[in-house]
Amino acid sequence: MPPAPAHSTPAKSTRAWNHWFARFGLAFALLVVGATLALLQPQFLTAANLLNVARQISINGILAVGVTYVLLTGGVDLSLGSLVALTGVVAATFAHPGDWPVIVPITVGVLCGAACGAVNGLVITQGRIAPFIVTLGMMTAARGLALVVSHGRPVSNLSEPFVALGGNVAGFPVQILVLLAIAGVSGLFLANTRPGRYLYAVGGNEEASRAAGLNVPAIKTFAYTVSGALAGLAGVLLAARITTGQPNAGVAYELDAIAAAVIGGTSLSGGVGGIAGTLLGALLMGVINNGLDLLNVSSYYQQIIKGVIIIGAVWLDRRQRN
Amino acid sequence: MGWLLEARDITKSFSGIRVLNGVSLTVQSGEVHALVGENGAGKSTLMKILAGLHAPDSGALLLDGQPVHFRNAHAALKAGIAMISQELMPFPHLTVAENVFMGQEPVSSFGWINRPALKRQTEELLAQLGVSLSPASRMRDLRVSEMQTVEILKALAHRAKLIIMDEPTSALSDREAEALFRILQDLRQRGTAVIYISHKLEEVFRLADRVTVLRDGGLVATQDLADTTPEMLITLMVGRSLNPRSLPTPQRTGQPSLSVCGLGKTGRFENVSFDVHPGEILGIAGLMGAGRTDVLNAIYGLHPADAGEIRVEDHPVTVAKPRDALRAGIGLVSEDRKQFGFVPWLGVKQNMTLASLRRWCHLGRIDHDAENRAVEDQVQAFGIRSAGNDQPVVRLSGGNQQKVVLARSLLAEPKILLLDEPTRGIDIAAKAEVHELIARLAETGKAIVLVSSELPELLSLSHRLLVLSEGRLTAELDPQRTSQEEILKFAMPR
Amino acid sequence: MLEFRSRFFSGMPQCFRYLLVLALAIFCGCDQKAATRQPGAGESKPLVIGVSLMNLASEFIAMINQSMEAEAKQLGVKLIVNDAQRSPERQVQQVESFIAQKVDAIILNPCEVEASSPAVTKALAARIPIINVNSETRVPPTAFVGSRDEESARLAMDYIARRLEGKGNVLMMQGFLGQAAQIKRDQGAREVLKTQPGLKLLADQSAEWDRAKAISLMENWIQAHGNNINAVFAQNDEMGLGAVLALEQARRKDKVVVVSVDAISDALQAVKAGRLDATVFQDAKGQGSTAVQTAVKIVRGQPWQTQVFIPFQLITKENVGEHLK
Repeated sequence: MPPAPAHSTPAKSTRAWNHWFARFGLAFALLVVGATLALLQPQFLTAANLLNVARQISINGILAVGVTYVLLTGGVDLSLGSLVALTGVVAATFAHPGDWPVIVPITVGVLCGAACGAVNGLVITQGRIAPFIVTLGMMTAARGLALVVSHGRPVSNLSEPFVALGGNVAGFPVQILVLLAIAGVSGLFLANTRPGRYLYAVGGNEEASRAAGLNVPAIKTFAYTVSGALAGLAGVLLAARITTGQPNAGVAYELDAIAAAVIGGTSLSGGVGGIAGTLLGALLMGVINNGLDLLNVSSYYQQIIKGVIIIGAVWLDRRQRN
Repeated sequence: MGWLLEARDITKSFSGIRVLNGVSLTVQSGEVHALVGENGAGKSTLMKILAGLHAPDSGALLLDGQPVHFRNAHAALKAGIAMISQELMPFPHLTVAENVFMGQEPVSSFGWINRPALKRQTEELLAQLGVSLSPASRMRDLRVSEMQTVEILKALAHRAKLIIMDEPTSALSDREAEALFRILQDLRQRGTAVIYISHKLEEVFRLADRVTVLRDGGLVATQDLADTTPEMLITLMVGRSLNPRSLPTPQRTGQPSLSVCGLGKTGRFENVSFDVHPGEILGIAGLMGAGRTDVLNAIYGLHPADAGEIRVEDHPVTVAKPRDALRAGIGLVSEDRKQFGFVPWLGVKQNMTLASLRRWCHLGRIDHDAENRAVEDQVQAFGIRSAGNDQPVVRLSGGNQQKVVLARSLLAEPKILLLDEPTRGIDIAAKAEVHELIARLAETGKAIVLVSSELPELLSLSHRLLVLSEGRLTAELDPQRTSQEEILKFAMPR
Repeated sequence: MLEFRSRFFSGMPQCFRYLLVLALAIFCGCDQKAATRQPGAGESKPLVIGVSLMNLASEFIAMINQSMEAEAKQLGVKLIVNDAQRSPERQVQQVESFIAQKVDAIILNPCEVEASSPAVTKALAARIPIINVNSETRVPPTAFVGSRDEESARLAMDYIARRLEGKGNVLMMQGFLGQAAQIKRDQGAREVLKTQPGLKLLADQSAEWDRAKAISLMENWIQAHGNNINAVFAQNDEMGLGAVLALEQARRKDKVVVVSVDAISDALQAVKAGRLDATVFQDAKGQGSTAVQTAVKIVRGQPWQTQVFIPFQLITKENVGEHLK
């Protein structure tokens, strides 16, 4: 049945607007927020401050890239914050001065995170248990393991080269460079490889993916392993930044990471999203955090503002999809 | 005399496909009115419109001579029209009495549910129908037939003047069906009208006063059953057969591409055996629920069989999941496009190459140019109309979605293609294109198994025809020499 | 009775033990009470004290626990230590099971002022003496051993006032908003600011006790306030160390005085190295050992004080050596 011509014009322009918004809406929002902040507080738009923002989002950014893999498959990873603590503590125990070269604590931290992520994936796919439950369990267990490994105390006295991971190289903070590298590799991976494509397919329609001959459990387990490994990397960088392995670190970091990905247009029900959006989401959260501090907005109100932004972003996402 | 319910010139389309075309229906009080027609004739849609589940695009509904517009099922129920669908939807954890009076419980002051009254009123209804059932039993403990009785009680509790039953005996044993027939007689005597949808002509002749026949969304006839024979009814249902298309008959000598032997799956089908040769189109006919889809899904590994053997080019293969089938060279276009066919928010291109992406990968990297070329070839070959190869498939029309799914199966280069209702829900022009395509594929040497509910489609496309009834093969027919009437005879459950 | 219990039950799963004890308590409740409360009878048998701690994952609480264990060993007392893991609800359940076990006394390290109060009420109703250590509950216990949190902030702010000679701009890093320690340290700091008209509070924000969050907050403050910052008061050492790291990275540490509270070992190292200007020592050892001593005194009927305040100590580079062993 052809649509009545009277309705077609407004419908078409709405669709064009939605299309435009889906593409550039977030970048636009970021510009608006940035411009507002620059007007209210001239300090916002200085090179030093922008570098600060980049540094402050890098841990969350790395976690958000990792959780994007999982969200694309239609899953969720609640264990990230605890994995940051566990891997930070584990890496720190290998990072005392004179013990090992700095590559060892880094590798151990990342492998530890990857192993926990793989356990998440295997239990979810082989045990057929909801990702929410499995990663919630991992969240508790990994936190406990972090306390056991560290005897409940921060692991301090870390070597120079390890702590240098929290500093600069050629004027650029190391963690920003790591985030950019991770995001770049992930973006290319998702666009140009079979497993990358399959992540979208599995999240978009698991049954159809199985019917198309994909190895669904393997793809899901892969996503959780990447998410865990990147949590390990974030844990190492955090330990370097705060110069200690903290068993209490990273509480609720997973929620910030998921929020960044969702603000960036990655769907909680899977199959839709991407790294560029996730980075923009993390950036928007970081800019708002930084700006509210610069404007000295009370901590009480900061929490309200951030909550409203998260819900608003998801609401816009829903609206443009329907 | 006045009709209890009159539907005039009802038209309804879903996403541009017309499923009802100017259908009229009249029902009078105390009548059992049968509604028959092939799968997809529009029976269920018409009933859903009467019961307020769908709104008609045009046409009018009159109840006791007054025009009515039902905004939802609840409004229809309040007006006295109750529908008992094939899938019963009771509240399993509540009792019989609570289910019967759901939404109109007798209440005392303060809005508390008056439990003694609830029990008493339920018992009164049970006595009226002469059914022995405890009002306090939990729904989940009942048998299907008893649940159906509860649904009827629910309709009576709402003082329904018209009860619509969609294939009520499909899940019942003979004895339970007898009990249902007694209840129907009783309802008739009390002046309640019943619209009875069934594939089982025997039941129709036994119960109904009048019958209405639908075909392809249009009204064929309404007749008194006293003036009708079963043969006449079948002819009305299938209509005149189309001219069979002349197909080059393939060589049926040599090695079959696919042979299944004694395939079975408990509760679905049993002892299904057949061969398909290269270049051959094997049609499988059967009514809904006969197990056609189950057989194809079992061969493809979506829901693996638990008995029998599958051989591809004379080598036995184990199919536990679709990946195994694909490796053996078997492809499937599922009848359930939404669930098994495509990934809704992925683009045309990404969906099309999902099962064959390996072919366009080089050193682990997707060769986008090669992929785009392959996709563009398919888009041309199938005449797929989209806003671009990255447009999400969910945004395409049903016909174009189906072509994407077909293209995906072909890109995996199967030797054997299982097609389950390949033309369901697509418009007539696209249907013809798909038919043409299936014939061409066979000419290139693929072995094709075609399942369809549309007999003319099966008759014109297949080289050989199997009929499945209640999970068993009941006949092998030559499409050139058989008729729709004969097929239907073998397809009817007995 | 007591000996019988400890030998006989030790091998059973916890829940069975509770059930049996409960049953025994019902059958011979009166005897039991007499046996435990008579000072003469208690002398020869080891006393049992139930301990419910707020959160063993906190380094400070772990230190309190260690000193309690040491003191208990010296006095020949048996401790049953439970960790409430920050859940006041769990804490109340733990105290309930202590009551069921008929312990001689309970030491409570409350999770929250209000929500942990039922634990105190229940213990008092069961006539078991209960001693709060480190933090308070709304319901007054038999005795309180701890420090006044306000005092720690006062010490820190006084030090800042002295260093800035009564004139300058101060930033305050708050703990997790709404927790008792944050409220009291905030209160103490503001009391000093009121008496020091030359000190101006430029801004205060929460970094939720977290070092990483404190780094980010300090970076943002450096942007917003730049050269105007003269001192930072962080309500715990973790945040103080975060502020130090951010200031060092911006090469401004030499211009800003940073003081925090708790004297955790990282902070002491930083004070020794001259990175953190001062921290305030809350005597975990003193609190732990005094709590056990007070409990034993109460059970044995010896005189005791209902409130024991362990004093804070300001630690700077000059006296840090005494605390680093």
